[in-house]
Amino acid sequence: MNYFRIFLAFLRVSIYVETAYRINFIIQLFQSLLNLGMTLGGLAIIFTYTNLLGGWQPYEVLALVGVYFLVGGIIRLIIQPGMEELIESVRDGTLDFRLAKPADAQAVVSLQRVEIWEILDIILGLGVLIYALLKLGEIIGVPQAAEFALMLTAGSIIIYSFFLILSTLSFWFVRVENILVIFQSVYEAGRWPVSLYPGWLRYGLTFIVPVAFATTIPVEALTSRLNWQTLAGAIALSIVLFIVSRIFWKTGLKRYSGASA
Amino acid sequence: MKPLVQLYIQQFKTTLAMMFQYRASLVIWTIGQVLEPLVYLIVWSVVANSSGGSVGSYTTADFAAYFIVLMLVNQVTYTWIMYEFEYRVREGILSAALLKPVHPIHSDIADNISSKIITLPIMIAIAIIFAFAFHTSVAPAPWAILAFIPVLLLAFLIRFILEWTLAQAAFWTTRVSAINQSYFVAFLFLSGQIAPLTLLPHAVQILSLLLPFRWLINFPVELLLGRLTMVETLIGIGAQFGWLIVSIVLLRTVWRAGVKAYTAVGA
Amino acid sequence: MSEEKDNPMAYAIHVRDLSKFYVVTQQETGTKAAFQNLVHRRKVEVRAVDGISFDIEPGEIVGFLGPNGAGKTTTLKMLTGLLHPTSGELSVLGYVPSKREAAFLRQITLVMGQRNQLVWDIPAELTFELNRVIYRIPPDSYRSMVTELTELLDLGSLLKKPVRNLSLGERMKCEIAVALLHRPGVVFLDEPTIGLDVTMQQRIRTFITQYNQRFGATVLLTSHYMADVATLCKRVLVIHHGKLLFDGELSGLLRQFTSHKTIIIQLDNCKADLSNYGEIESYEDGKYTLRVPKTETARVTERLLAELPVIDLLVEDPPIEEVIARVFAQEEK
Repeated sequence: MNYFRIFLAFLRVSIYVETAYRINFIIQLFQSLLNLGMTLGGLAIIFTYTNLLGGWQPYEVLALVGVYFLVGGIIRLIIQPGMEELIESVRDGTLDFRLAKPADAQAVVSLQRVEIWEILDIILGLGVLIYALLKLGEIIGVPQAAEFALMLTAGSIIIYSFFLILSTLSFWFVRVENILVIFQSVYEAGRWPVSLYPGWLRYGLTFIVPVAFATTIPVEALTSRLNWQTLAGAIALSIVLFIVSRIFWKTGLKRYSGASA
Repeated sequence: MKPLVQLYIQQFKTTLAMMFQYRASLVIWTIGQVLEPLVYLIVWSVVANSSGGSVGSYTTADFAAYFIVLMLVNQVTYTWIMYEFEYRVREGILSAALLKPVHPIHSDIADNISSKIITLPIMIAIAIIFAFAFHTSVAPAPWAILAFIPVLLLAFLIRFILEWTLAQAAFWTTRVSAINQSYFVAFLFLSGQIAPLTLLPHAVQILSLLLPFRWLINFPVELLLGRLTMVETLIGIGAQFGWLIVSIVLLRTVWRAGVKAYTAVGA
Repeated sequence: MSEEKDNPMAYAIHVRDLSKFYVVTQQETGTKAAFQNLVHRRKVEVRAVDGISFDIEPGEIVGFLGPNGAGKTTTLKMLTGLLHPTSGELSVLGYVPSKREAAFLRQITLVMGQRNQLVWDIPAELTFELNRVIYRIPPDSYRSMVTELTELLDLGSLLKKPVRNLSLGERMKCEIAVALLHRPGVVFLDEPTIGLDVTMQQRIRTFITQYNQRFGATVLLTSHYMADVATLCKRVLVIHHGKLLFDGELSGLLRQFTSHKTIIIQLDNCKADLSNYGEIESYEDGKYTLRVPKTETARVTERLLAELPVIDLLVEDPPIEEVIARVFAQEEK
């Protein structure tokens, strides 16, 4: 598969760059652990005062934290860096170099940068998730696992499409450099079950900045809270959003290349 | 003194022009500033509701008041100077500041205050909306309201000087994100942003008494909520003064060392 | 050259045995070596500036010439206090730059690279106003300076546009203007014309000359463009590998470092093999450019005129760029 090889090429560059600074690894690990520790600390404090948070047991919320880190890591590993780079390259005109490559432009700009140290977050998140599931003692049957994997995939596609749409705006508006920050700030709210929040906030976290699809919904699948409407809705949304974002991307690209829309 | 006052006024005009250019970023930034205390507000309210209406000495309404006031205190005292410094070092424009015959901290304080003059009214409006939405209010004694002003001012000064000093780390290393993050995490727990300090484990509370953070957030917030006696307030102000002196000494030491380190290897 | 003065304070810039050494780590290539880097690395000492000495009098325009990495920028940084010397004596207007005293900083200015003091997102004139306050420039002095600089640099309405919307040349003009608002007595310019088109380069050169004449400021500029130095500076300092190779007038540079002359000869409608007469540098439209040793010039000229149908013949000094390039190439060996 050609795109896999492209991805590997970018990955190799990233590894070379990062290992140039030996202290990078230690610092990244430290930061990931610090971040995790902070979240777990908050959790610990909350659960000294209660046994149930909005119907969620402590280890279920822990599972959510695991998924929060896992998906956050995936986003910061491969989705966000490429989009940041895209916005920057539209601004300074270096996008042309990417477009000149003999591959689909969207694939190239999406894979163009890999922040390899985010692997640490993914591993940590996975570790926390597995630990929480073990503690829950739930026998994760095939249906739940399958739904989980499905929701995780759908969530990732939704988040990716969301990022792509935001980044494509840079073809029209010059000053969108910091627009991706909006996801970072709002994603913080994903550390807690979205069902805790009042209606308007829940709506915002689902349909405006789709944090819920990244964290709460996959864990709901795992803890048998998911109804088929949400499942179907997530799948449908992921497909629709992917198509819409690609169309939007192509429109933006045409504008950038000077052709009429 | 006059040239310094002129500098602050001029910086205000400059900041105003910059903020106008970056109004979209400001909206996004404000969302982040509001969301964090809001999330904790909601989570603690849920906990309180499932615990018979209160946790410790905080009812659901108390939690709401706490986090809403915290949002405002945070807004008045926060800085972004460590990101600014990292940016200056990265872009190679830190040298420009070193060539000026004025200490760069003045421009930075002026810029910080100027941008808050613009954003604070918006935050106050949001706070009022939240107060209605979460059915809460504050009713501190008149003396507490009066004391709140110098307390908030001191909190701002201390926090700014501390964080400006921390930002100097950019003189020594480009790897400032780890240092900044450690600071933010410590700040989060020990200043009362995650929960009122009285709800934290005993050991953490003791630690918070030894560090400056609680006097920057938890103390002003509790004061305005009417939860402190006059004696406690006076002790708090004393602690603030103490930390102000410490932070100024730290600033001068670190700045001098930072310039020395920077000029040993250059930009 | 000026007579030796006993008092170094009489000079605008006084430098004695100035040195700056760095220790850098080295990195190997290859993915395997990349991971090895995590464990062990090699260290190497770099001599950026290696014992240079010179004195500059007030009001001089001096050029610092050298290829990239020669030590020019490092020297400028030391002269402005941005970098501490490893060893040596250094004073500018009687001050020790590394002390960074406010009185010192108010009298100098440095324009280095393309991004200096202009605040990016706002009109340049707001940065002007900021500097007015920072440097405590009296209002009338400020106003007249702005008017003069606008005129000399042809700034027009550039000052009202956000800096990010200006072209590179426009930005450089504004950077130079804001740097001179406080009428510094010593002006340091690092590669002021780099990346600019020819017209803009000329304009800035003209401006520097005018500014120097008008305000008597001492100007030290670095460049690797010969044209900058040839137009502006009576005196050049040639630096390479951190060492000063030459300090004096440009004409002296030619005399000292060139042992050859250039003969440009045009023949009447024929091609001839001129390699017997000298080294053929180039051929274009019937014009040959030959390089001959100085001592041979008269003899070769005679032979050419006698043996070939010559329409036109011109004897010149080699282009200054070529001389400098050869000087540097020699130093490499």
